[in-house]
Amino acid sequence: MTTETPVSVVLETPAPKEGRRIDWFDIVKQLFLIFFALLILFPGYFLLITPFKTQTNYSADKLGLPSPFYFENFTTALRGGRFFLWFGNSLIMVVGAVLLSTVVAALAAFAFSRMRFRAQTPLLAIITALMVIPPVVMIIPLFIFFSRMDMSGSYASAILVYAGLITPFAVYMLTNFFRTIPHEIVESALIDGATSLGILMKILVPLSAPALVTLVVVNSLWVWSDLLIALVLLPTDEKRTLMVGITVFGSRYNSDVPVAMAGMIMASLPMLLLYIFGQKYFTRGLVAGALKG
Amino acid sequence: MDTPTNKRYSRRSFLKLAGSGLAFVSAGAFIQGCAAPAAVPAAPAAPADAEAAAEAPTVEEPIAEAPAQAATTLKMWWWGEQEAPGLEKWLKASAEMYKEKSGNTVEMTLQDNASVIPEFQTASAAKNAPDIQFLWNGIYHMESVWLDYLEPLDDLIPTDVLKNSGATALSVFAGKQYRIGWYSAAPCWLYNKEMFADAGLNPEAPPTEWDELLKACEALKATGYTPITGGLKDGPWGEWYMGHGLTPNLDTAADAVNLFIGELDWREPRYYDHWTKLDEIWRAGVINDDMLSIDLYPGIDLFGSGKGAMTAVVVPLIGKQVETLGMEKVGAMVFPVSGAGAMNNLPIADSQGLGISSQSASKQVAADFLTFLHDPERVNALYNEVRALPTDTSWDGATQIKDEPFKTVWQTWVANKDAVPYIANLMPVLFWTDAMFVNSQKIIGGEYNGTQAGENAYAVTQKWKEQNPDMVENYKAWAADLAKV
Amino acid sequence: MLRTHRLTPFLFLAPMLALLTFVFGYSLVKIFDFSMRRIRGATGPFIGFENYRQVFKDDVFHLALKHNALLLLAVPILVILSILIAVLLHEQVRGWRFYRTLYFAPYIFAIPVIGIVFSNMLSLNGAVNQLLRGIGLDRLALDWLGSSNLALWTLMFVIIWRELGFGIVLYLARLLSLNEELEDAGKIDGANWGQRLWYITLPQLKDVTEFYVVINIITMLAWVFPFVYVITRGGPGNATQVMELYIYNFAFRNSLPGMASAVAVVLFLITLIFIIPLFTLRQRTEGGEAS
Repeated sequence: MTTETPVSVVLETPAPKEGRRIDWFDIVKQLFLIFFALLILFPGYFLLITPFKTQTNYSADKLGLPSPFYFENFTTALRGGRFFLWFGNSLIMVVGAVLLSTVVAALAAFAFSRMRFRAQTPLLAIITALMVIPPVVMIIPLFIFFSRMDMSGSYASAILVYAGLITPFAVYMLTNFFRTIPHEIVESALIDGATSLGILMKILVPLSAPALVTLVVVNSLWVWSDLLIALVLLPTDEKRTLMVGITVFGSRYNSDVPVAMAGMIMASLPMLLLYIFGQKYFTRGLVAGALKG
Repeated sequence: MDTPTNKRYSRRSFLKLAGSGLAFVSAGAFIQGCAAPAAVPAAPAAPADAEAAAEAPTVEEPIAEAPAQAATTLKMWWWGEQEAPGLEKWLKASAEMYKEKSGNTVEMTLQDNASVIPEFQTASAAKNAPDIQFLWNGIYHMESVWLDYLEPLDDLIPTDVLKNSGATALSVFAGKQYRIGWYSAAPCWLYNKEMFADAGLNPEAPPTEWDELLKACEALKATGYTPITGGLKDGPWGEWYMGHGLTPNLDTAADAVNLFIGELDWREPRYYDHWTKLDEIWRAGVINDDMLSIDLYPGIDLFGSGKGAMTAVVVPLIGKQVETLGMEKVGAMVFPVSGAGAMNNLPIADSQGLGISSQSASKQVAADFLTFLHDPERVNALYNEVRALPTDTSWDGATQIKDEPFKTVWQTWVANKDAVPYIANLMPVLFWTDAMFVNSQKIIGGEYNGTQAGENAYAVTQKWKEQNPDMVENYKAWAADLAKV
Repeated sequence: MLRTHRLTPFLFLAPMLALLTFVFGYSLVKIFDFSMRRIRGATGPFIGFENYRQVFKDDVFHLALKHNALLLLAVPILVILSILIAVLLHEQVRGWRFYRTLYFAPYIFAIPVIGIVFSNMLSLNGAVNQLLRGIGLDRLALDWLGSSNLALWTLMFVIIWRELGFGIVLYLARLLSLNEELEDAGKIDGANWGQRLWYITLPQLKDVTEFYVVINIITMLAWVFPFVYVITRGGPGNATQVMELYIYNFAFRNSLPGMASAVAVVLFLITLIFIIPLFTLRQRTEGGEAS
């Protein structure tokens, strides 16, 4: 592991190529990789073609191409506006939790990386350890707590919990990144009379843009995909998130598989786009959490 | 990296780490101390609470405990749109009309089926219960009755409205009624008249004996139809099946409670006979082969899309099947088990209902709203706009309902004095998941026969009693109550 | 390091501490308290270890424990496949960029989406069995989710299907930061592919592997809820019951949050057991680097 940067993994520059000679061993390797590629592509193919089938077409043939291509399933899935409602709720969760967590984590990471205080090292270690504690352990007290506060089913309750759950990773990652920013920059700012907060806002945060993007991407994926917290803390119909919505209506109450699959595709689009345009942030972020964590 | 964290951890620093861990956890204990017991109103804000409150744009205003003449805002938690689409619209319209009439507002929150009861119980324990609460029949609200979370309705709602609401005997405890009926959720079976005719069966006379059912299945199968469709992957089909299958072998609803608390024994053949029969029909190959890998609703929809001749449903789901299959093809029947009990071959009545929290500051207003929902005009609209069958026995369903099979269903399952209560509602969730769901799944999976299913049912009731010693006495009292009905 | 007032750092830490103390600190204390009470609604009488006694004598809990333990078999599979595939990609076999993107793709689909897709594909008359029947493998067209002998393994397959991409990317990242000279020296010495993998590459991946194994163990024991909830709900007949679902059911279905809390405590302690090696590991690797 290199030490210049915590997200030092440069996936784009692999080792120089070996000389290419076609031998049986290369073919074995290719077959191996193709086998796994097919395993991954098959569900993808199913997800991609099914929404274009009519229900009759689907029940007669679950594998073949749609005949004819049918486009109504997408509009059916969107009918009644529930989909957009859930979509909006998920968005509120992602924006609220990631924003709250990033601000809170940036402040803390600043202290961890640029100041000295008692119990600094063990505190950071504990916060890092919190990353692996499963949310199901915390959910019962949290559910009852919000009920007591008459906050059950509110956006605020779920945002708080999501923010709490993703903050350990955020603190950990930002601390590591802030540490890589050269002292000289900070010191020259100090000479110019910058305050602590000024250094954080005007120097560390702008210089950490790549890390922040990575953090936002990874944590958004986490909040967007969560099922348990939303299931327990947002049980009312108007606050339901997309993942709970598709779980409840995508399988149990809906036997129209093509419509359900149309919903699945639409529910996956945001993350799919984020992945296509920000693949390196995704992989960097996940690897950063892992290789150092 | 030149930071202090980079140094190697010694055993001692690890202990230190553990020490600050304790400090961290004890900070948690501090918050816990601040989150005052629910009984104390307006606890001093703990740090986390303060933050939570600052983050909470949606925190509800406390319900105004205004004098009766001033306008009141009622909180209502409900469920039902999921099974009876259109109910929300009807409910909102009702609230509008009620507001014009009385000046009082009803704020409604549609809950998920998994949370509607737990949310209510937790909120009640925290003294934050809504005024009006949706309640399933039987144990789903009886537990709340025993915990003092629900108000008896007898003195709040006019007797004729309450008694004619179709709440069934399972809504009464110690002589008080805690639930007012809303719309029918009776479980019944549907059959495809066209397929029956094709197979040489009388489409107007579905089987009423077990042997007739077997013969009908054979004939249907020989004609190329799947006789019975169902989906068991998620489980509730097993609950319905037990409801249909066990009832004919019981004399009263009290028998079911007695089975559950061990006064009667699940291991007696009479009480597991229906599971033996499930084994029998599965082996005969009359149910769709993918039953274990599809969910309840898709299993029913196989019937609607013409892929099977019979299926188990509940009343609110009939509309969709009729819509896809055509009114003339759908008939309703009682599942024929040929049981040895007094409740043999009788239709099962069940309803969804509503109740009032014992903590409500405006119980009478809440009761007035519930009474208003039973206004003849509202009841008519419930059928005409939502296609949900009202359970009010005073409602003139016979003339209001024009279409089959709704007419038959109303006459046989709803407005029928002989209809029996739905006994699955007498048993708590643990028995549903660990006995009703598991037994059916294991029978279909070839792991259990009827005897083993009976043994498992017995084991689950024993387990439940050990896990819920504080509830056993209530059950005994309930059984005594029901025996008197 | 900035020179600051003794308390200034805590000013910056305060919001985070408040948030984490609430979400983690408060809950973890409370869960121990709840596990000793017969909770009805939000509170209940103290009953000592009765909840634990009930949990440990419940055969459904035994099943849940067993199933979580069986899911651990996915760990070696994940490790071996991740390493093999990462090594092949690192060798830049033809199309490696395409493979890399593709193999990681499942990881960005939300588990509920994956669960519903697989539920439909794997039903007895679903797409997978249609494919198997189509190529003459009728005998392999099994009831993947409906058979209690298979359901857990099917679930494990879906978990591996989604989680594999992460392992590949992780190992690939590590391989790219390795010392190329060793590998080249190996080639010059005439070591074959297998020997180079075994004697040169694998030892260098040791720290990542240790980390990856621990993380996966925790995943299999405590992070599989959405897969189970969406795909099988623990069925058929409890054949895929796991600890997290057991907690969920007892807390939010069976109105016994006390018993659920006892299991949550057990799960927390199990996690804790694995967090400790994770830490020593991490400190060791960081210490190693500094030297």
